[in-house]
Amino acid sequence: MKDRVKYKNIDKSYLDCVHCGKCLSGCPSYVANLNEFYSPRGRVRLILTDDADKLPLRAPKVSETMSSCLLCGRCVKICPNGVKIDKLIIDEKIRLNELTGHVFSIDKFALKALKNKRKVLLKSALEIGNIPIIEKLSRRYAPKPEGKSFISNKDLAFNAIFPINESLGKNVFKVGYFSGCVFNSIYPQISVDTIISLTQNGIDVFVPKTQGCCGLPFISSGDIKSFRELALNNVRAFKDKEIHYIVTSCASCAYSINKLYPLYFNANEDEYAEIKQFSEKLLNIWSFFKELEKKGVNIKSGELKKETEVVFHAPCHLSNMPEFKPASSNENLIGEAGFIADKINGLKLKPLNHNYCCGNGGMFNIRHYNLSKKITSRKFEEIKEASPQEVLTSCSGCMFSLKDQKGILEGSERLPVRHLISVYAQSLKELKE
Amino acid sequence: MMDKKLINEFEMLLGKDRVLSETEELLCYSYDATSKDFMPDVVVFPLDAEEISKIVKLCLKYNTPVVGRGSGSGFSGGSLPLKGGVVVSFTKMNRILELDEENMFVTVEPGIINADLKNYLSERGYFYPPDPASYEFSTIGGNVAECSGGPAAVKYGVTKDYVAELEVITGEGEIIHTGSKAVKNVSGYNLTELFSGSEGTLGLFSKITLKILSKPEANSLILVSFNDINNGFNAAISLLKLRNRPSMLEFMDKSSIESVKSYFKSDIIRIEGNFLFIIEADGSQAEVDKSIGEYEKILKEFSPVSLFSSSSTGEKKEIMEARKAISPSLRKYGDLKINNDIAVPINKIPTMLLFLEETSKLYNIPVINFGHFGDGNIHVNIMLDKKDIEMVKKGEKAKYDILKKTVELGGSLSGEHGIGLEKKEFMKLKYSDYYMNILKNIKKAFDPQNIINPGKIF
Repeated sequence: MKDRVKYKNIDKSYLDCVHCGKCLSGCPSYVANLNEFYSPRGRVRLILTDDADKLPLRAPKVSETMSSCLLCGRCVKICPNGVKIDKLIIDEKIRLNELTGHVFSIDKFALKALKNKRKVLLKSALEIGNIPIIEKLSRRYAPKPEGKSFISNKDLAFNAIFPINESLGKNVFKVGYFSGCVFNSIYPQISVDTIISLTQNGIDVFVPKTQGCCGLPFISSGDIKSFRELALNNVRAFKDKEIHYIVTSCASCAYSINKLYPLYFNANEDEYAEIKQFSEKLLNIWSFFKELEKKGVNIKSGELKKETEVVFHAPCHLSNMPEFKPASSNENLIGEAGFIADKINGLKLKPLNHNYCCGNGGMFNIRHYNLSKKITSRKFEEIKEASPQEVLTSCSGCMFSLKDQKGILEGSERLPVRHLISVYAQSLKELKE
Repeated sequence: MMDKKLINEFEMLLGKDRVLSETEELLCYSYDATSKDFMPDVVVFPLDAEEISKIVKLCLKYNTPVVGRGSGSGFSGGSLPLKGGVVVSFTKMNRILELDEENMFVTVEPGIINADLKNYLSERGYFYPPDPASYEFSTIGGNVAECSGGPAAVKYGVTKDYVAELEVITGEGEIIHTGSKAVKNVSGYNLTELFSGSEGTLGLFSKITLKILSKPEANSLILVSFNDINNGFNAAISLLKLRNRPSMLEFMDKSSIESVKSYFKSDIIRIEGNFLFIIEADGSQAEVDKSIGEYEKILKEFSPVSLFSSSSTGEKKEIMEARKAISPSLRKYGDLKINNDIAVPINKIPTMLLFLEETSKLYNIPVINFGHFGDGNIHVNIMLDKKDIEMVKKGEKAKYDILKKTVELGGSLSGEHGIGLEKKEFMKLKYSDYYMNILKNIKKAFDPQNIINPGKIF
């Protein structure tokens, strides 16, 4: 039994699972499959059994369900017993990766290119898998995940320029901007819009060139080594700069840095203090604006020339500050992001009834494309009920999934998908005009 | 071990996608919300009555047990494959087949989640009242099999009161139709009601028609606590006598209040006292306002420690979340829970609660109680440490004492969870051999080869 999972788990919170089933209906991968092998409770049971060595389990089969977890964290929020399901699954993925990590596959090749910031290789790795003949061949020689990858989107801008700014001005508030790989390489305009929104409010923004991917695609593939390397690289990119906060407009980067960075460095390691400080300094853009408001900074209002009805898809990884209490109807609907929505005159926010997951889940979208699209379709059902003119969000992964509307919306009908910060930047510009 | 040929036949019938037979997959179907587990040999996902009939006929041919499963959230082991065999998962049969607005019925497949049905109806102005604490994830099929009830039972009754028609596949693989949408129906034995609460032992459901109501326009909650149990009891009895009786009358004892205190996040909700009630009034806005005023007036006569009423959606949600979290959050009192859902006549509740307190002291183990005051249904949770063998023995003794007392007080061994595996040895406390034989003969009539969920109830 060569492929038997043999590494031991550190987190034992699986012992607190009472298998009540509460997590089932919240889990996007369970709801799409309606098969408990793909449920949080099922995954926890597999990890528990594996850890206790009760039954011989086969790594490839266990991988199948672990890799179809989107790490959305909905089950963690639902669980009445505080089982750390996301942490347990990541730990399991790390062990599985050590067992099967040597096998070549196109998705792993793409990750390699991403880590080394080789845009051309990343682009070709993802594109090549979509050519039918190669897809057929690759299944044999270089395993590729099912279906097409998001790269079939036409609007990706691999060649666009990312705005680096390594000198700080004389404003009182100084922040670092953490772009994440997507708003750096693929949608750099969102970075531009974020920086405009900050500078227009009198904030100096430091944008280091050496920053890279937050590491989430790596740790969610079980590659803890690359995850830690990338984390340290990012810490160093912002080191010794006199900045009050580090801001990101990507909800998944914030999840990775706020939640996972401190979990995957040990308190007795030399780098731990730096990692923890970096992690605590980083805020998602909406929490940051609320923080500024608390400090008495007046956040500018903008105006859209044309009134626009929108919905805001709240990313699973977007979290409000613990002490947040909604103070307006927009904040009631979408949390802290509602504060900026309030600042955009002419923006009409419509509610989404269920706030389903978008189906992206980072590498999940690439490894289980068909399943991912099934989850996206459900998301669009509630979007269509609200019939907005645009869909807004604030996460790189969600943008990928929501923009990929082929086969979900009828014919050539398409709904524009934008980052809320881009709409805010636009409203600041249109007010001046 | 199961005959490989049977698995092949299932794959021929349903396609490989709808048959699970690998260990890793089966493991995920080996448990429910009890602390027992049994591995099935195969899990199948039918899509209609014809397929279920064929599945049962194959099981007959191979003499293999067959057990239905919804979300596997039961508390009595109803969906556990005690003797291995085939688990029939209904999760892919989750459609709403018909909304009959003239007669006010909805027909569904058994795998639909209770909350999904509630939402569907609510959007159209209708209301399906039964609300087990698991309603956000348990299936209607499971609810009917266990005759689930919840807080709404005090005003609206339990699942069986809403089941009008059933399509059932018997243990011989035959498809039968029970009941009628006609309100009056005396034509032979009432099999619909027999199947409701039959714990999946008489057949497998493929279609369920439920009675629905018009949705109440509004509701409000009162949270009230007492130090003296008798005061609380007398206050509650007075509320139940009203013509506009509460649509919910839940209680928590001191230990269950403690276990969910952290779920109350608002500053306004302050919990004091030894005995807490969550009371709801529903109806038109005017009716709700009138009822809440009336309830408050009555409650104040019994010197409550705290009284708080709310019509805000956020606060109401918070209160109900806390109520639903009690059962799973008891984990901190012990890793083994003996979960009893006894029901006694309402006027016996104080006697029973007193007895529970004494039992807890006698055996020196935590016994945590909460439940549905309005229908006498008390969730008695004996919390134990799995590894402490002495303690587990004491827990079993306590369980026996409690169930015996329940029967003495004229109560029922199970209000809504069912007997299943968890309480079958206690049936003799309540019923004679002669009575039990009648039950067994009824099962035989539907399932002569004893392949449908064998080993449950008796």
